[in-house]
Amino acid sequence: MTKNYQIGLGATIRREFKRLYSRPLYLFCMIIAPLFCTFFFTTLMADGLPSKLPIGAVDLDHSSTSRNLLRNLDAFQQVDIIQQFNSVQEAKNAMQRNEIYGFFYIPEDFASNAQSQRQPTLSFYTNDAFLIAGSLLFKNMKTMGEMASGSATLSVLLAKGLTKEQVQAVIMPISIDSRPLNNPWLNYSVYLSNTILPGILSLMVLMITVFSIGSELKENSSRQWLRTGNKSIFTALLGKLIPQTVIWLLVGGFILVYMYGYLSYPCNSGILPMFLAMTCLILASQGLAIFIYGVAPILRLALSAVSLWGVLSFSISGFSFPIMAMDPTLQVATDLFPLRHYFLIYVNSALNGYSIGYAWTNYAALLIFMLLPLLVLRRLKKVLIYFKHID
Amino acid sequence: MKGIGFRKKISEGIFDLFYIWKGELKTILKDQAILTFLVVLPIMYPLLYAFIYTNEVVREVPAVVVDKSNTPNSRKYIQLVNATPDVNIIAHCTDIPHAQKVLKERGAYGIIYIPEDFNKNLSTGKTTQITLFCDMSGLLYYKALVMANTAVSLDFNKDIRMKLSKSTTNRQAEISASPIKYEDVKLYNPTNGFASFLIPAVLILIIQQTLLLGIGTAAGTAREKHRFKDLIPVNKHYDGTLRIVFGKGLAYFMVYILLALYVVCVVPKIFTLPQIGAAGNLILFIVPYLAACIFFAMTCSAAIRNRETSMLIFVFTSIPLLFISGISWPGAAVPEFWKYVSYIFPSTFGINGYVRLSSMGASLNEVAFEYKALWIQTGVYFTSTCFVYRHQILIARKHIIQEYKSAKQRRATDKEL
Repeated sequence: MTKNYQIGLGATIRREFKRLYSRPLYLFCMIIAPLFCTFFFTTLMADGLPSKLPIGAVDLDHSSTSRNLLRNLDAFQQVDIIQQFNSVQEAKNAMQRNEIYGFFYIPEDFASNAQSQRQPTLSFYTNDAFLIAGSLLFKNMKTMGEMASGSATLSVLLAKGLTKEQVQAVIMPISIDSRPLNNPWLNYSVYLSNTILPGILSLMVLMITVFSIGSELKENSSRQWLRTGNKSIFTALLGKLIPQTVIWLLVGGFILVYMYGYLSYPCNSGILPMFLAMTCLILASQGLAIFIYGVAPILRLALSAVSLWGVLSFSISGFSFPIMAMDPTLQVATDLFPLRHYFLIYVNSALNGYSIGYAWTNYAALLIFMLLPLLVLRRLKKVLIYFKHID
Repeated sequence: MKGIGFRKKISEGIFDLFYIWKGELKTILKDQAILTFLVVLPIMYPLLYAFIYTNEVVREVPAVVVDKSNTPNSRKYIQLVNATPDVNIIAHCTDIPHAQKVLKERGAYGIIYIPEDFNKNLSTGKTTQITLFCDMSGLLYYKALVMANTAVSLDFNKDIRMKLSKSTTNRQAEISASPIKYEDVKLYNPTNGFASFLIPAVLILIIQQTLLLGIGTAAGTAREKHRFKDLIPVNKHYDGTLRIVFGKGLAYFMVYILLALYVVCVVPKIFTLPQIGAAGNLILFIVPYLAACIFFAMTCSAAIRNRETSMLIFVFTSIPLLFISGISWPGAAVPEFWKYVSYIFPSTFGINGYVRLSSMGASLNEVAFEYKALWIQTGVYFTSTCFVYRHQILIARKHIIQEYKSAKQRRATDKEL
């Protein structure tokens, strides 16, 4: 009572900065956590594509041909034959101990059967419980199988008197030249970090926005906050959000500069459209958070709702498992997640370098998220004045 | 004398242990927030996740064709690709720019380009190349497109070789076309599906994360409720470290052992995920995992000051923890530093052990490393929990003594006046 409050937007902003500064929790959630994740994901997948995955070999043939085959397989960048086993069972057990992700099986009398045209069968086993490792190995081992078959044909045809060029055309008349557009290295970090990192930032924005508003009610300071904002809910909210937005933009900007500048991830649109996209993601997340709190002004409930929203974003935005393979009801629901729109904008701009026009619907959707708070402003003001905090 | 005192202390300790156990169970059931984290979330979340990934694989990835050759051979190729379950050809474009436009409008995820000299080369015994442009927004699109085209081209090649071999019998043609056969065996995830690979890991992670959230919330609430904002209440039953740690731990364990059985045994059945492990092994494995998680969460909970803060601190960690566990990003490719960091968390060993026991049918023998690691973690985190709680008891006691002293002083000054 004795203290005279300064009022207005400036005073609200100063007040919010003080609040953010006073609790280490904000420092942790707004700066440390997103930056830690940035560092974590980009160093975890620094190799881009897993290389030298340990595999085994079961060579029952013990011929120079089979040894040659395994040597060739070992020369592939992605595999590393670390051990020979005496039987399939032994190799399977090693797989269950997680020592190898797959193994190559060469049956008895393989070389002599091949020579005498009895069509022996090579087998390769991959552990697809580890999907990425299994798929990579599958690719390498399949190529190897094709090569083995080809080299056997080669020796037969050369014996028949064909020239090398002719032989090549017989072994592989059609070859597939696959060109992964704009990520020719199939770099997993490019593929995942570009959406996971903004996703984590968006999750934090959602939670902190709800928490910073809800804790006013909890600490019985909501009326004082509103008074500082000149009794206007608009000014009060703006004053509260501006300091946070500044911090989020700095952190989000850092993530972009780090990825596209320092790590040189593909950014075919130039970095400016991505700054715009990041800004929209942050503002949209804030908008969504205010809306959810306005609808359910119970701190715990709203926090649970936004954290569910934020965590589900990672699955439902479709960057790892495509939307088209999901249930139709989920396909519609994806539009309710800001990260989904950010992901599509990223694909359109940074990854593929298409013009922003192709992603206008996503920008429009993010804009709608930003405007959502307008629907609950009046209710929110009532809440701040009359509601009591509920545990 | 001492013997009687000791025995009395033990019986008193056990009595208090059950008093605390009962109190904690009541807290879990009465507090909506804690009930949500510790019961509702572990029940609902696995269902939600399994629902999202229920289709396992991507089928019919839309693609466009630019067929410059336009001959029976090229049309046959396109037809065969279209017939695979992986790819669906939605349009034929006259040239690359047109095809690119479809990609830009998100109508398709790949372009299959067949060159003009495709048929000419084939018929004159030269090699030819089909180019496949893939949108890289999702690796599964790329995988589907490459797999379908590779498979069709290999079949095509084999047919051509059989024709060229000029053999007298079909069998001979077959052998000279592919003198060596090869087969691929996909172990432990026969459909190569996304759910079968990701859900088991998520299930185990959910157990740890909900415990962190629930126990954290309980601790934050306790601090808000208690005088002096301490974790330990002012109550004669809360007098010894062991009885508190065991009492609370037992309450969580009893609730969670049921949930864990549901999560690791029932959910995979509902969604028909590959599960070939013996149920007995799973239960034996889940016990140290739960114990490690509970004590880990109890240690961490000491840092939680408020009812809501556990959400802010723990929720986001799920994402890095899933990746560090070595399931999605293969463990062999996890850098040394992060591998050691991952040993801090029970989820790393829990996920690795569970996936191998359940999806791969390993015996406890094969997961001995993880099994032992979980017991070691249980020991380590039990000790750390005891230390943390001991410290908290001392703080609470100090606050009481301070309060008592100042009250006494107040009374003394009152008397003087």
